[in-house]
Amino acid sequence: MHRAPSPRAVEPTTRHHRTASPGSGLRRRLLAALVVIPLALAAAACGDDDGGSAAADPNKPVELSIFWWGAEGRAKLTEDALALYTKKHPNVTFKKTWQANQGYFDKLATLTAGGDAPDIFQIDDNYLTEYASRNVTLDLTSYKDGGKLDVTKFPESLWKYGVVDGKLAGVAFGENTQGLVFNKTLLDKNKLPAPTTGMSWADFITWAENVSKTAKVPGTQDPSADYKAFWVWLRQQGKDLYKDKALGFTEQDVTGWFELWKGARDRGATPTADVIHEGNVTDISKQLVVTGKAGTSWVWANQMPELKKNTKDELGVIAYPGDTSAQWARASMYFSVFRGSDKKDIAVDVINFLANDPEAGKVLGTDRGLPSNMDIRKAVSESVTDANMKQSIAVENELGAKFGPSPQVPLKGHSKVRSELIKAAEEVQYGRQTPADAAKAFYAACKTAIGQA
Amino acid sequence: MAVSIAPPAEVPAAPGPASRRGRGGPRRRENIAGYVFLSPWLLGLLGITAIPMLLSLYLSFTNYDALTDFSAVEWVGFDNYRKMFTADPSYWHAVRVTVEFALIAVPLKLATALGVALLLNKAFKGVGLFRGLFYLPSLLGGSVALAIVWVNMFNREGAFNSLLSVFGIHGKPWVNDPDWALETLMVLAIWQFGAPMVIFLAGLKQIPVELYEAASVDGANAWRQFRAVTLPMLSPVIFFNLVLETINGFQGFTSAFVLSNGTGGPVDSTLMYSLNLYIKGFTELQMGYASAMAWVFLVAIALITVVLFSTGRFWVHYADGEER
Repeated sequence: MHRAPSPRAVEPTTRHHRTASPGSGLRRRLLAALVVIPLALAAAACGDDDGGSAAADPNKPVELSIFWWGAEGRAKLTEDALALYTKKHPNVTFKKTWQANQGYFDKLATLTAGGDAPDIFQIDDNYLTEYASRNVTLDLTSYKDGGKLDVTKFPESLWKYGVVDGKLAGVAFGENTQGLVFNKTLLDKNKLPAPTTGMSWADFITWAENVSKTAKVPGTQDPSADYKAFWVWLRQQGKDLYKDKALGFTEQDVTGWFELWKGARDRGATPTADVIHEGNVTDISKQLVVTGKAGTSWVWANQMPELKKNTKDELGVIAYPGDTSAQWARASMYFSVFRGSDKKDIAVDVINFLANDPEAGKVLGTDRGLPSNMDIRKAVSESVTDANMKQSIAVENELGAKFGPSPQVPLKGHSKVRSELIKAAEEVQYGRQTPADAAKAFYAACKTAIGQA
Repeated sequence: MAVSIAPPAEVPAAPGPASRRGRGGPRRRENIAGYVFLSPWLLGLLGITAIPMLLSLYLSFTNYDALTDFSAVEWVGFDNYRKMFTADPSYWHAVRVTVEFALIAVPLKLATALGVALLLNKAFKGVGLFRGLFYLPSLLGGSVALAIVWVNMFNREGAFNSLLSVFGIHGKPWVNDPDWALETLMVLAIWQFGAPMVIFLAGLKQIPVELYEAASVDGANAWRQFRAVTLPMLSPVIFFNLVLETINGFQGFTSAFVLSNGTGGPVDSTLMYSLNLYIKGFTELQMGYASAMAWVFLVAIALITVVLFSTGRFWVHYADGEER
């Protein structure tokens, strides 16, 4: 803070600037930044629509970002398949990111909000409608029609399951079915019969009760909080989870579902509420059937290998109880292209490669479900040596043959419906609400979630 | 902060526009240097605090859902705020859970911290080691690892129940029981009393020994000394810790998130305000609504702090006896 030397030599013209307080220029600039930066962010978030320009020069180096969820095994397979693509197109490299299912969609939403979504990302039907209806995903219809994206070898229901509001929002990467997994070792040890496909819900619960009594392990995880079990059960009554833009069931249906399982719990066919809760919130590796806390778990059949990895016991899998034609083969996962990507054409080509190239198909195997491309599915089934994968294919083929047509793709708000079902079912499981009260609350919450007032 | 660098030199000079203009050049240069040195902090403040905050204030009046383009955002006025207070039962549930958590965990944590600080204020062999050990849980802070350990300690087969079974007590599935899950989180919060404890210790060291000597000459026993000397002398530190820990308590997130796998369960028993906010914003993609919740939260915490400060007048004593 030294004394300043005489400053009077300054020309009067600049006086205006001088008298302004020292920070004002900066302040003005900060103010400008305050206005400009959000605008810039917004502009970035909008992305540009004229993708494909990068394809003008086919040999120009391109780096595509790709993001998926899964365990390390899937990461290895996916990386190997992508390496194949790079081998054929040396100018294309990948920025690969993957993580566990938990938190995946939070991160994807955050990246998307920042206008920085990956060029290619994995998605499933829980969120496909959310993303498609908000125009995050690129409409692939024109690529499909133009032959750049080949789905001709796909079962029709499978690729159509990626259509939201008339737009092809994602390419199905696997076919998957509901499966009731049981602990074979446990049953054999206690000389108990295995459950069978086609048994009624009442028979199944009686069977589970019997397991609880004899094996001293609860016969089945209580699936009342499990949306897919609820869904199958609804379809067996001629209802559905969604019908057009509304719910496809009534409050009474939910009450009936909760009462069915309250009865099962009262008879000791299922574990206590706290153990059920553990099964409800953990990932696949801690399902009750592998932690030894229940004789059966309600899963997707492609999760079998992951389940096996976590137990020494032998596992078997059958369809859910009741009429099997209410079950359906579901597109287990999709790959979608970000609408704001500036490398759309290449991204679509990569997806096309992963879905249809025989070599890539062999590498990817059944990790995301049975391959969508029927030729590849056949080749993989014939050549596969991995025992888990082999069983998984056999099971899916066997179950799949008995199943009915797919329901419509879940509505926007589906993930909320799922979490509300867990909450309502647990209210009943912990004995805090009657089935009717919980059903009422759940029904109201569902209507809000899907915007059906 | 930047402003305080410049002015002092001015004082002796005659006031008036001429002299102000006179010091303009170098002063300006000094200011520029100041801003240059400050710029990393300023950029951080703007980029990751101020602008996002202003944006979120704006977004709280919109239906922004994180995925839609900014340009398509619709202004909905006070709808988000109205919905929060009148049409969202989960909101009030989360408020109740959070208030319950803060009301119970914060006083207990402070009491534990003070108690242990009093013990560790005594001179005995190895006191340094004990101070370190007691501070350790605090260092682990809001870590995810710690919350996972907690889950495994307090489930049905956990270490805690094994311990109870030694005494023939059948434990509960604490973390999986909606009646106990929140209490388990409280215990976790209380256990991390290290930070306020260290501050209490520092405060205790500041109390002049003469006061205790005088008190004991007057025949005051230990309890009386605590009431008449320690507490009043320590009250500014208690106040400081109370404010800090209250804010902390209301912001509880990590442990609840990990324990419930991000759901707030079992049956919403651990649905803390911040967790609810996170779920609304990131899982249900209602960013506008979540922003509104965040602003109400900010105002609520500010109000609570103001209330604490206003009560401070009645019980916080500063050594110099001045009113604050």
